[in-house]
Amino acid sequence: MAFASIHIPGFLIQSVVRPEPALRNRAIALIDGTPPLWTVIATNEAALQSGIQLGMAKSQAAQFCAVEIRHRSQPQEKIAHAALLDLGWSMSPRIEDTAPDTVLADISGLASLFGSAENIARELAARASLLGLAANVAVASNMEVALLASRGFPGITVIPADEEPQRLGLLPVHVLPVSPETLEILDRWGIRTCAALAALPLLDLSERLGQDGVRLHKLARGASVRSLVLAQTSLCFEEEMELEDSVEELEPLSFILGRLLDQLCARLNARSLAANSIHTRFKLDPAFENDSPRLKEKARHSANKKTAAKAYEKSMTLPVPMRDSKMLLKLLRLHLQSDPPAAPILKVSLSADPARPRPAQAGLFQPLSPDPEKLELTVARLAHLVGDSNIGSPELIDTHRPGEFRLRRFLPPREEFLGSNHRPLTVFRIFRPPLPAQVDLRDARPVCVSFNAQCGHVIAASGPWRTSGDWWREDTWQHDEWDLELRFEPVLDQIPHARLAKSPQHGVYCIYFDTLRPNWFVRGIYD
Amino acid sequence: MYNELHARSAFSFLEGSSTPEELVAICAGHGMGAMALLDRDGVYGSPRFHLAAKKLLINAHIGAEVTSPDGWRYPLLVESQAGYQNLCRLITCMKLRAQKGEGHSSPEEVAASASGLICLTGGDEGPLAHALAQGGIEAAIKSVEQLCGLFGRGNVYVELQRHFCREEEARNQAALEIARQLCLPVLATNGVCYAQPPQREILDVFACIRHHRTLATAGKLLARNSERHLKTPAEMAQLFVDLPEAIANTQLLSSRLKFTLNDLGYQFPKYPTPNGEPQIHFLRERTRGGMLGRYGADNERARLQIERELAIIERLDLAGYFLIVWDIVCFCREQNILVQGRGSAANSAVCYALGITAVDPVGMDLLFERFLSEQRGEWPDIDLDLPSGDQRERAIQYVYQRYGQRGAAMTANVITYRGRSAAREVGKALSFDPETLNRLTSLVGAWEYKDAHDTLARQFRDAGLDFRHLPIRKFFELCLLVQDLPRHLGQHSGGMVICQGQLDSVVPLEPATMPGRVVVQWDKEDCADMGIVKVDLLGLGMMAVLEDSLQIIRDDYGEEIDLGRLPAGDPLVYKTLQKADTVGMFQIESRAQMAFLPRMHPQCFYDIVVQVGIIRPGPIVGKMVHPYLKRRQGREAPDSLHPSLEPVLARTLGVPLFQEQLLRMAMIAAGFTGGEAEELRRAFGFKRSEARMKDIEKKLRAGMNKQGIAPAIQDKIVVSITSFALYGFPESHAASFALIAYASAYLKCHYLAAFTAALLNNQPMGFYHPATLVKDAQRHGLKVKPIDIITSHWKCTLEPIAAADSSPESDRHSERSEESLLINSFALRLGLNFVKGLRTEIASDMIRERNIRSFASIDDLKLRIPAIQKSELTVLAEIGALNSIADQQGHRRSALWQVERAARPAGPLLESSAESETPLLQSNSPLAPMTSEERLLADFRGTGLTVGLHPMAHHRATLKRQGICSASELRALPDGVPVRIAGSVIARQRPGTAKGFVFLSLEDETGIANAIITPQLFMQNRVVVVNQQFLLIDGVLQNQDNVISVKAQRIRPLTLTRAAAPSHDFH
Repeated sequence: MAFASIHIPGFLIQSVVRPEPALRNRAIALIDGTPPLWTVIATNEAALQSGIQLGMAKSQAAQFCAVEIRHRSQPQEKIAHAALLDLGWSMSPRIEDTAPDTVLADISGLASLFGSAENIARELAARASLLGLAANVAVASNMEVALLASRGFPGITVIPADEEPQRLGLLPVHVLPVSPETLEILDRWGIRTCAALAALPLLDLSERLGQDGVRLHKLARGASVRSLVLAQTSLCFEEEMELEDSVEELEPLSFILGRLLDQLCARLNARSLAANSIHTRFKLDPAFENDSPRLKEKARHSANKKTAAKAYEKSMTLPVPMRDSKMLLKLLRLHLQSDPPAAPILKVSLSADPARPRPAQAGLFQPLSPDPEKLELTVARLAHLVGDSNIGSPELIDTHRPGEFRLRRFLPPREEFLGSNHRPLTVFRIFRPPLPAQVDLRDARPVCVSFNAQCGHVIAASGPWRTSGDWWREDTWQHDEWDLELRFEPVLDQIPHARLAKSPQHGVYCIYFDTLRPNWFVRGIYD
Repeated sequence: MYNELHARSAFSFLEGSSTPEELVAICAGHGMGAMALLDRDGVYGSPRFHLAAKKLLINAHIGAEVTSPDGWRYPLLVESQAGYQNLCRLITCMKLRAQKGEGHSSPEEVAASASGLICLTGGDEGPLAHALAQGGIEAAIKSVEQLCGLFGRGNVYVELQRHFCREEEARNQAALEIARQLCLPVLATNGVCYAQPPQREILDVFACIRHHRTLATAGKLLARNSERHLKTPAEMAQLFVDLPEAIANTQLLSSRLKFTLNDLGYQFPKYPTPNGEPQIHFLRERTRGGMLGRYGADNERARLQIERELAIIERLDLAGYFLIVWDIVCFCREQNILVQGRGSAANSAVCYALGITAVDPVGMDLLFERFLSEQRGEWPDIDLDLPSGDQRERAIQYVYQRYGQRGAAMTANVITYRGRSAAREVGKALSFDPETLNRLTSLVGAWEYKDAHDTLARQFRDAGLDFRHLPIRKFFELCLLVQDLPRHLGQHSGGMVICQGQLDSVVPLEPATMPGRVVVQWDKEDCADMGIVKVDLLGLGMMAVLEDSLQIIRDDYGEEIDLGRLPAGDPLVYKTLQKADTVGMFQIESRAQMAFLPRMHPQCFYDIVVQVGIIRPGPIVGKMVHPYLKRRQGREAPDSLHPSLEPVLARTLGVPLFQEQLLRMAMIAAGFTGGEAEELRRAFGFKRSEARMKDIEKKLRAGMNKQGIAPAIQDKIVVSITSFALYGFPESHAASFALIAYASAYLKCHYLAAFTAALLNNQPMGFYHPATLVKDAQRHGLKVKPIDIITSHWKCTLEPIAAADSSPESDRHSERSEESLLINSFALRLGLNFVKGLRTEIASDMIRERNIRSFASIDDLKLRIPAIQKSELTVLAEIGALNSIADQQGHRRSALWQVERAARPAGPLLESSAESETPLLQSNSPLAPMTSEERLLADFRGTGLTVGLHPMAHHRATLKRQGICSASELRALPDGVPVRIAGSVIARQRPGTAKGFVFLSLEDETGIANAIITPQLFMQNRVVVVNQQFLLIDGVLQNQDNVISVKAQRIRPLTLTRAAAPSHDFH
């Protein structure tokens, strides 16, 4: 048996540098954090020599002109990690996904293809280089030895079986998978290298560090034996289909989606799981510009900018975990109808986030409520009609800012709300957006208000009611509100707006003066 | 005309955002004649409000909002002195039975204290609003009727506030209806919470701090608008244009409120004389008795002085005050607590005779008027220095016990928002993450000297905060705005006020955080401004050191030392002072003092008095130091300005150094009385007033004309007095401190082991870190032994050592053979209190157990003290304290090896067998002993110091090759030569008086070298100077009058070791 460990030193930096080879010879520092408060989280050697230190603020790091400052990129890290796995799989079917920056490969039997262990290591390093990664590669008959060597020795290392303890002995103990607490103990003991650790009596060490000590001792001696944990794809359910001919219509697409959903649900079923959300990804036909004017028209009407791209992605979060493929198909169709792709589809990918299925039995005393699946279907149909952002339960926000609310996902009312007798005394109908108005003042009090081509004379006025706030934000506000009883006299012969036709001759309105953007508006009417 | 009768200041702690002075200033600006301050559950801001209003001729009405059990508040205004006393008692009663910051008054308590108070129905948090919300108009009527029942129908006003809010106006309509039904007057107020509209933002931030929210999540806890500012009478009249009587009533009510803080009714308590004889007779007897002891029977000068003082004391009716302080001093003497009066009290021969002070004012010709004068109309101020810690607490508790919990209290210390606290709390409200706040607050510098770059704006930029973002801009603005606003009430370190009768009827009392203590709601300055006599019982670390030294000398040396009878003029003490060898000595150990000592060359006690008094900001800024030095060194002739001033200025060579001299100059040159001279000092003091200064100057010149002093000399005298008055230091205070300085120097010179042990046992104190104190003691020949589990106690102790066992270092370095005998007879054993993280109770357990039976091994130690934690064992092993019980090898690593096993629980199965068997089966450790560098690191990590070689000593050969001079070698080099020095930075200073220069003290194994860094060089090397522990400095040696320093030209970091004590920075 022989194992090769491929380790990418400075993984965070390398993953950013990989798509931009021009950066390779430059001093680079990665920053991360909550904007605008970024700090340096990783650097390369050149940046360290320039004086950059980990933890520096971005503004401090920016003072070092020779250093390129980049943001950490988790997508790039994922891609680099995937590339690393690909590298492993390109040489051996038996690989272990040891860490984001390390992959272990079983290279037994590769000698007939590549020759000596050193050649295999060289080949791995070369392929890593082609993938844009500079790797440390270590080959040993013991997989832990290979792992430690790749973390501790730069470049290519081949350790013959009989030299493992000696070679490992040179490595510092911090390359071992050791907890900070144990590392501190070893440091206090003056144990700095694997050789020093290996020299400690095992029994005494186990008395002091327990099984962790025994494990480390074995590792330091190169005597640790374990099995390869074969890399598996994560618990991710994904189905995809490449289409020979692009699909333009929803109906044929529904067949494909139905088939994929059936498969997906069957897989989920087999694992006793259900889908918590469904992610749809379509690869769109780039040649569509010339030949599908109808879809082009559809795309123009679509508000979603993603439709203009060459891929289409949509996620559908479900109210409860589901695995009924027919129900899922209906929901998916409704979502696609409300937000269709902008071009014919070349490839369809569906993935599901798995979750435990919902228990079928409800509480004995729980009142009957609509079936969540059906309710979701209804909500989806409504969303198709009014748009995703315009459906849900309105909820007032705790602020003095007038009329502020947000929409949250609609959920059936709970028991305690059903019994509530709370009924408002006055109803206030808010105009959204507020109506611009012209206001005549006398002694700083409104006497006449014109809006929507009508003029109201003030019969009674109460105010001003002053609110202001959010002074720490750009959208601070300051309003002077008046509650006015108005009697209207039409000013135009033609009634341009339907609302006016219904407006009463007499009403109590709330108007306000926006002090920061000096204008009058009608906020709403008291019913 | 409108008067604002319901305003809160920032003394409502997070419910108001303006200081009382700001409110008064705006009130005056609006032309209002009166205003009332009603802070929440207290009269914290009333003295400042009263004094500010007095200056601007505004009627300052006092009141408070008192919390009810349901959470709403009674807004109460004080009508009479009885009302004020009732209010104070009501608040005291509420505060003393509740947790700090909480409490409420029941209706019964309010009823009992309602006399002399006027109640308003309040705004949002008042009784009417609460009742309306709870039960509508009927409940509101009932609530107001209850108020009428409590306070009397004529003393309840229905309050109306208008902040442009619908709900509030609905309430106003209900209130008007209630007022009509119950025939009560209505009163307009604005429920003021800040002086000007922009301060609403601070109030919003305070609301977040109060409710532990952020601005983003506080919602309706924030203000609805910015209308709670102090409005002009015209604005208020316009707001209440429909209710002119509500405005008119403000003036009527204001005219009813007769009480001001001028009628406080404070009286100092009377001392209960044994036979009921008059206090002054009793004081005369005590003083005469004391005089005989101090001066003998035939010192006529002293007798005359004492009689004169007693006559003044009698006229001012202050005998009780002196007797009460005397009583405290007697208690301390009886309890063997060291006590010594400081400050201007040392000018009084009566205080000296009573044993309150230790300086002879007659012998030193000190001026009594600096302490007490008939003209001044102020109470005298006696400060007592006591050993810090338990002893001082005993004295404080004695005062409580003697005058009752409501008869004595500590003065408060109002904690205000400063740079760091402001940034932290405002940042939290603005949702800044903790990491950024930490970064920012660590950058808010604490240098005494601030250059043009040391602005808050720069600190923000250094923290990586970009001003282009609105939240960051707001953060910055708010940090500036909240500076100096009160945050909470603390406790003054030693100021106590005592009252005849009940102190709680003069000012409300509150419980302090420390159990058994009560504080008044006013700080020291406020108490003084309100004419309340204060006795300061101050904790002085050096008093504790002296007391501990005497005890150690008594126990170990078998000698009894009386600090009052130390040999004056001890040659060894003066020789040591002249060499500036003063590390650890009281007041004369700092770098600046050391730089002055060789020039001063002290030869007598008065030289120490001058030494203590001259290195102060006053004489330095007043440019008195160099003229004095030149005259002392004979480079300039003494000039006393006028022959008549010769007796006053002769002893300071014509340079006025002390406040007493200034007073005497005025008395002699211009014929001022003592009281007039003191008035002059105060006129030119910190609270300067141009008009007052001009008047006094006129008077001064008129007086000098009368004395026939020529105009040119007059000018000189006036300049001398006016420039120095601001900064002068009392000679009496300097003399009191000089006594302690002399005592500390004497003990260090003659009983080094005892003094060092006491000094180490009372850390933190003084200018130097314990690591430096230990190295200094070692350089003086003291053997310092490391912490050992077998012998160390909690505190540092002395161990007798045989002559053969004496430290080779001590033989090498000790310059005094006869002293070395004494020094070498004792070694100092470091105490367990220096072990970082070791709990006191564990140390006590270890000492108890080892007294029963020695520890056989580390396992044995762990078995017998099961509560000891692994971290404690580890640190003990790491510093070598367990070497003697580790194994046969007995080194630190072998102990660490054993500790790791001993600290690991055996598990339930083996636990019983482990207990029953003596764990003798100890295998030797396979670990190599620590290297010297590792030991050094472990010492500093575990104890903060080392008793081994100085970190620099390990590298001396290498340093020498680099051309680096040691601190001791510098002494032999001539002035002006280029030198290279290096060492561990033990102090960094950037004093306010040094124009941006930075002073570094670098320690090596031979002593301390000083480096001076120019502002330009500092700016270029800021990061290195501030952050590096070891520095290498190239510069030019300055060796003037045996004062050695290096003027830095190049500064580099030196990477030797990570082991070093932290430096003492930023004085």
